[in-house]
Amino acid sequence: MFETSALTEWIIGHGISQMVLEILISLCIVATIVSVARYIFGSKTYGIYAPILLAISYSYTGLKYGLAITLLVILTSLLSFSILKRIRMHYITRIATNYIILSIILVGFFLLIDSFGLGLDKMSNIPPLAFISIAALSDFFIKQYIKKSLVGSLMTLLSTILVAILGWFIISREIISDYVLNNLWIIPLLAFVNILLGMFKGLRIKDYFRFRFASRDENDK
Amino acid sequence: MKMINEIIRFNKEILGLNRRNQEYVRPFNSPSSKAIADNKIYTKRILKKELIQTPEVYKLIRTKKQLEFLDWDSLPKSFVIKPNQGTGGNGIIVFYGKKKGKSEWIRPNGTTMDQRDIILHIENILEGRFSMGTKNDIAIIEERIKTDPLLKQYSYKGVPDIRIICFNQVPVMAMLRLPTKRSNGTANLHSGAICTGIDIGTGITTYSMHMKSNFLLSDTYELIDSTVDLKENKALSGIQIPFWNDLLEIALKCQKSSGLGYIGVDIAIDAEKGPVVFEINARPGLGIQVANQAGLRWRLEKIKDIKIKSIKHGIRIAKNLFGGEIEENIEAISGRKVLNITEKVYVYDKSADISKLEKYKDTKREQVKAFMDTGVLTSRIDSKLANRIGYMNAHKQFAKLEIPKRFETFKDAQEYIDKSENEVCNNTEIKRLAKIVEDGEIRVRPVFDIPIKVSDKIKITEFISTQSSDILCPITIGRSDLTGYLIDTSNTF
Repeated sequence: MFETSALTEWIIGHGISQMVLEILISLCIVATIVSVARYIFGSKTYGIYAPILLAISYSYTGLKYGLAITLLVILTSLLSFSILKRIRMHYITRIATNYIILSIILVGFFLLIDSFGLGLDKMSNIPPLAFISIAALSDFFIKQYIKKSLVGSLMTLLSTILVAILGWFIISREIISDYVLNNLWIIPLLAFVNILLGMFKGLRIKDYFRFRFASRDENDK
Repeated sequence: MKMINEIIRFNKEILGLNRRNQEYVRPFNSPSSKAIADNKIYTKRILKKELIQTPEVYKLIRTKKQLEFLDWDSLPKSFVIKPNQGTGGNGIIVFYGKKKGKSEWIRPNGTTMDQRDIILHIENILEGRFSMGTKNDIAIIEERIKTDPLLKQYSYKGVPDIRIICFNQVPVMAMLRLPTKRSNGTANLHSGAICTGIDIGTGITTYSMHMKSNFLLSDTYELIDSTVDLKENKALSGIQIPFWNDLLEIALKCQKSSGLGYIGVDIAIDAEKGPVVFEINARPGLGIQVANQAGLRWRLEKIKDIKIKSIKHGIRIAKNLFGGEIEENIEAISGRKVLNITEKVYVYDKSADISKLEKYKDTKREQVKAFMDTGVLTSRIDSKLANRIGYMNAHKQFAKLEIPKRFETFKDAQEYIDKSENEVCNNTEIKRLAKIVEDGEIRVRPVFDIPIKVSDKIKITEFISTQSSDILCPITIGRSDLTGYLIDTSNTF
């Protein structure tokens, strides 16, 4: 679509595959989206790693399949956690058991799709690593559930998924990925944007809603 | 345009997370000070040196071995287990009592935990499940605070606490946190506790709020007037916090000893011991602004460059600058505004366009101290100040009039005024003449109409220009201009 830049050609010609380069570019873009979401909008996510992982996974699974797996992972985690909560056990063993239950349910889910379709016929074409990446969300979710509350954890989950969807939307547009691939100067620009965001002191958009009751018109205070 | 102005004003007033971290936490809280605040054991040790009370520690459990050999019988019936480096109240369990003849302890919601459950919880603490980062942690078993009876009636079980935010050795804002049923007896705002703003000047509660329980809006606040889940809900404003001055002093001592420039100090009031510091925070939350209906940013900016000489000085500055919420409440009830005996007022320049005064903030004006004097009828202005704001010529014209320097009686002065006032006022900028006692003598002085701004209200006020040597402030507001105000005489010079 865009003319291949000399720098991109040189990098690809020196042992870095185009796919790796594309993933690294996606990583930079989604990381910046997470920064903007946090410091401009005030959206809380499970750190920076989870939304990046989800966005890149969605780009492999497609949004429909990705969200279906995410939903399954969360529902399974919630179910297994609420059952395991009743048993006295250590944290790591609880998470490990949760992963085992999740794996069993995922297999069951595949069998269901195989038998009934459920509108998800192409599920078997999805790379397994994308599955595992989405399944890792369970750990983030349970950790926060234990520390904070179900509502708090679900809120953060929702923000994480929304940011990941936005990331997926941007990195899966061919026109954008092609353009950035052939205009690698954008990468240092993204770093610069992050530095600027890092120094931003203004109110986050969420702050306007959170603190709207706090402000009264008091001139010349 | 109006919206942009509103956003700019909001930005100037409210402290957001970005600015809190960049402008206050990072520059004023050193890593070593933060390490103290993030570690409850260090905090207790440091506060002990300052003779500040903290909950008594019964046991410290650092390893599973120590947990294995813990003498459960040596523990009192009620106690609290908390992680040393926990955040946001995570991992804290309170026990109110022990079941007779059993190794089971009773929690605030009536459920019980047996020894094995508690051991598992402590093991989770030791593994760092509730702590900052992923490092192992220490479990603290400490005294349970017995709530002060006054505050007890406003909270659903648990222990209410008072958070005071201090900056640059000045208490800036405070709130009372009351546990609710939703917060499961904890005083954590995010868990659903009620937060009530406190007037720094008096220690009396003002506005209240809690976080919305609605799932999607759970990170936003809702203003409330009374408690929400008690048998008999009580109004939350107007509660006098006990030991108020002591609490302010303790908060400042905590700041001094921890070295945190920007700090949130959580203090509970024990029924027997009085104020007890729960913990200190290096990154106190910002919800306190909603509870106080006031922004933190302008308060912090106001005291940023003040040099504080002592704890008492810091408290005095806080009370003078940030006290006053209660006065506004009085105003709401009585319909009258409260003025201090001395107030800062703006005096506008003679050249200022009166019709545009309210519109343009950059109109030439001078901020001066005014003394509220109900003993005089007409307001007075120091002639030097009047000269500065454009009445120099008027004074020169007045001087040329050859008015006697003093009169024997008021009657003589009045006769003189009646005789020459018309002529004087027609040819000069003087509005009228007035007779006053100045330095023990009866004199006739010029009167001017000068716009001033008192307590957000611009008003054209009649001033007698005076040369008196014993004038307290450049402006004295007389009783004819004090109609509709209440004077608070507690804040003297």
